[in-house]
Amino acid sequence: MDNLLPKKVWATAALWFMVALYGVPVLWFLLSSVKPAGELFSYPLTLFPKQPTISGFTQAWTSFDFSRYFGNTLVVAVSATLITIVTSATCGYALAKYTNWWLRAFTICILATTMLPGEVILSPLFLIVRDLGLYNSLAGVVAPSVITATGTFLFRQFFLSVPRDLLDAARIDGSGELSIFVRIMLPLSRPIIMTLAIMSFQWRWNDYIWPLVILNDPNEFTLQIGVASIVGAENVNWSVLLGASVLSMIPLVVIYLIFQKYVMNADLSAGLKD
Amino acid sequence: MTTSATTRGRLMRWRWLPVTVAAALALTACGSSSDGDSGGGSGGGSGAKSITFWLSASAAQAQGYHDLAKEFEAKEGVKVEIVNVPYDGYQDKLRQAAQANSLPDAASVPSLDTIWINQLQDLGATANAPANKINKDLLTVQDGKVLCIPSDLTAAGLFVNKSLFEKAKVDIPADPDKAWTWDEFLAAATKVRTATNAKYDLVYDQSPARIRAFIYGHGGKGFQLGPDNKYATPDDATVQALSKFASLNDDKVMPKSVWGAGADPNALFKSGQVVAYFSGVWQVADFAESITDFDWASAPTPVGTIHATDINLGGKVVAFNNGDKADPAKKWVDHIFQPANYTKLAQVNGYLPVESGLTLNYPFKNKAALDAFQLYLKEIELADPISSYGHQSGTKLLLAGKSSIQDDPTKVEMAKLINGQQDVKKTVDNIVSGLNQQIG
Amino acid sequence: MAESVPQSAGRADETPARTASRWWSGLRTRRHDRYTLAPLLLISSNLALFLLFFLWPAVIGLGYSFTSYTGVGSAPFVGLDNYQRLLSDDAFYAALVRTLIFTAAVVPLTYVASLSAAVLIVNPYSRGKPVARVIFFVPWLISPIIAGVIWRWIFGENFGLVNYVIIALGGEAVPWQSNADLSLIIVIIAAAWGNTAVNMLMFVAAIKNVPAAYYEAASLDGAGSWAKFRHITLPSIAPTSFIVILLTTLHSMKEYALIQAVNAGGPGTENNLLIQYIFTTGFRRAQIGYASAASFVLMLLLMIIAITQLVINRRKDS
Repeated sequence: MDNLLPKKVWATAALWFMVALYGVPVLWFLLSSVKPAGELFSYPLTLFPKQPTISGFTQAWTSFDFSRYFGNTLVVAVSATLITIVTSATCGYALAKYTNWWLRAFTICILATTMLPGEVILSPLFLIVRDLGLYNSLAGVVAPSVITATGTFLFRQFFLSVPRDLLDAARIDGSGELSIFVRIMLPLSRPIIMTLAIMSFQWRWNDYIWPLVILNDPNEFTLQIGVASIVGAENVNWSVLLGASVLSMIPLVVIYLIFQKYVMNADLSAGLKD
Repeated sequence: MTTSATTRGRLMRWRWLPVTVAAALALTACGSSSDGDSGGGSGGGSGAKSITFWLSASAAQAQGYHDLAKEFEAKEGVKVEIVNVPYDGYQDKLRQAAQANSLPDAASVPSLDTIWINQLQDLGATANAPANKINKDLLTVQDGKVLCIPSDLTAAGLFVNKSLFEKAKVDIPADPDKAWTWDEFLAAATKVRTATNAKYDLVYDQSPARIRAFIYGHGGKGFQLGPDNKYATPDDATVQALSKFASLNDDKVMPKSVWGAGADPNALFKSGQVVAYFSGVWQVADFAESITDFDWASAPTPVGTIHATDINLGGKVVAFNNGDKADPAKKWVDHIFQPANYTKLAQVNGYLPVESGLTLNYPFKNKAALDAFQLYLKEIELADPISSYGHQSGTKLLLAGKSSIQDDPTKVEMAKLINGQQDVKKTVDNIVSGLNQQIG
Repeated sequence: MAESVPQSAGRADETPARTASRWWSGLRTRRHDRYTLAPLLLISSNLALFLLFFLWPAVIGLGYSFTSYTGVGSAPFVGLDNYQRLLSDDAFYAALVRTLIFTAAVVPLTYVASLSAAVLIVNPYSRGKPVARVIFFVPWLISPIIAGVIWRWIFGENFGLVNYVIIALGGEAVPWQSNADLSLIIVIIAAAWGNTAVNMLMFVAAIKNVPAAYYEAASLDGAGSWAKFRHITLPSIAPTSFIVILLTTLHSMKEYALIQAVNAGGPGTENNLLIQYIFTTGFRRAQIGYASAASFVLMLLLMIIAITQLVINRRKDS
């Protein structure tokens, strides 16, 4: 037991060293959001606000229909995340547990989706979404964003690490392929589901240019469209932008803390590896 | 065997997952289909009781339009739905909306686009109405058809850190009539910097429009279109002015980081360590609110042989040809530019007016901001016609069916000059060829 | 055992030859069903999305790359002109080299940072994990424009925090912005800082998935923390390491918004990466054809990188 103390000291010191490195910019960001505009760029530099104010937050809240945009973004992020998890899990499983030349080819295809700058396909994609009748609807925002290489690969790599015996045992038991996936594999991948949920939620929450182009009705606007409207052609109202940014990331932190708990407490590994 | 038994045990808790997912999918599917039906600002023709108006403005500047929209609804019974679109991506959005037949009914846009220019209504009746006294030089006219009316003017101009000037006991010319020359101004700024231990004389917006004012102030004509609608090699005075401008980026007069590396001059000026800032009228509202550590003021633009600055157009107000919404849209634009209404708009939004003969009382509480507007109004009156060349050449190219200059090479080429990567001749050549390449 | 009774009864009625042939064809169709239909069904949703929302628009984009399309009106066919022009443009190679340097620095930095963060966050001995968990996560949420102002505040050449400290200590201001290499280092730091969280999440899930029994066995053998990390954790999370490296590489090669916000590819054009190049010479100058050609060259490069990594990874596995 006596060798635990130095371990604690080392691990804690290393952790806090990294926290300090990552935290300074974050701290500036958070503290600046409660600074009055006049203090943001004053010199000599100050980290802490002299006269803290929440005017950045109140102005951000009133500069656009915050609660409505918030709700719209929530609909987009939740539905996109659910669909992303389903498609990524099924596809990742297929790529990991079956061997076929066309599955290998499709693996490359999935990766290819991350390889083009969005602008190249923006216009053609827009026409397709329009012709599908999804223009000016939240479904039009969600549909093209569902396929993700990160999500698919996250599941693929996870299922690669699931021992084959488990699959073979289930097959011998007479289970169908799909039922093996739904009843055995999917529950095993719970930490991955949670991890992808956090990631996907963040992606969709912060999407900007595609929702802007697709949505016409301000009642359907998403949060980032509102936040971007604070950035003008010649001016940026930094104090309002900082306030809006802090407000818009609160739900992401909450979701992260909730979902992360399931990943951290996951104890599925016991029966998995041998 | 133990493995699958434990796994199955765990399955129980996860039975709900597929069900939940399926339910959620069904829900979103329903949700989105109804979303699809309700949307479309300009789609249905319900007797045109409402029209849409897009603009890109700060919440404060959108307010003027909201006020006018209320009056318009009371008067005409047509509701104006105002949509504030972020500046970043606004052009893209308009382009795509044109392809989806979903353009707004009226809009204030950053620039006209050939992709939808043929869908614009003629605003001649409003633009040429004698009572409105709209400056005809500001209009974009194609085959006698007025395509847009600018909502306001913007002008480049100088800001000074008044506290530093007072501390150094150096005078600021009060009146644009008796403005300083660039050399006088730079000498004064250096005097203030050394007396007060400030860091830099000047920061200067990294912008091709703003540098025009410097060129004009040094007797140059800048980059001009030739008769063949191609940019020609500029005069010697322009070349010399650019050369001088680059040499000022010596980390004493000007910090190298702004034109050399894209640092934010607005933030540098707000530090209070910079004597002067060359930018434009749009900074007034920002400074009024967010400079509290020192006193600032607008100062006359330094001049050369002629009195010139860079004058540009704010938003361009257009009305689209959208079926039964076309008429109310046109009426709405007319409503905006009726002198009494336009006066209110200009006051609330802090616009430099496009109509003459108005009495404007800007509602700023800040004295420096009020003075600044008086100064800008006077500057515009005094400005030599060359001050408007920048936006006029853009209009000329547009009407000639050429691509507009989306990415002026001046910034990048000047940065290379300042960083010593090329000489001034090469810089000028690259700017000219870069401009010509874009207009095709 | 009861389930097999009817089967054996059925088999008894048939001649051995018929049984064999039926058995063989039955197996074939069943195999066909199992190993073809099942994966096809499993990938069907992604396949449909891929065809509809990626392949189709990408093919149209590829078409543009052989034209002088400006975004408006007709798109005259110019053959391989755009590609020829691209491959003879020095600025393209300059951007490519800069992008490779950037990627070569960001990938290892991000890998080490996110793995360290993940290890420390699941470590049973460290204290203060709830705070650390949030601090590591927030940078990933901060939009590029805000990240830009944060890093300029810290590494501003004129009034930045770091120079402020250096001058206060009697040093000389460091040209963080107007020196091209220093400026690139700032972006590399900013990129690693922002990308840590997402990779950390993947590592946390992977580390949590390593059977505790392995560590217990190693402890009994008297293995130290480092040995456990080196011989248990690292090999066990290899599949995750692989995707972190692969995806970070692809992402870094395409970095745009962050660089735009931190130094706009400056000083001058010296830190223009490939996407910056594609934007400034292509999209923003209404040269959609040229920009598309450059994009597909970029895609080809990324494809080569990805396939190389996949092949190496498979070799290592087998």
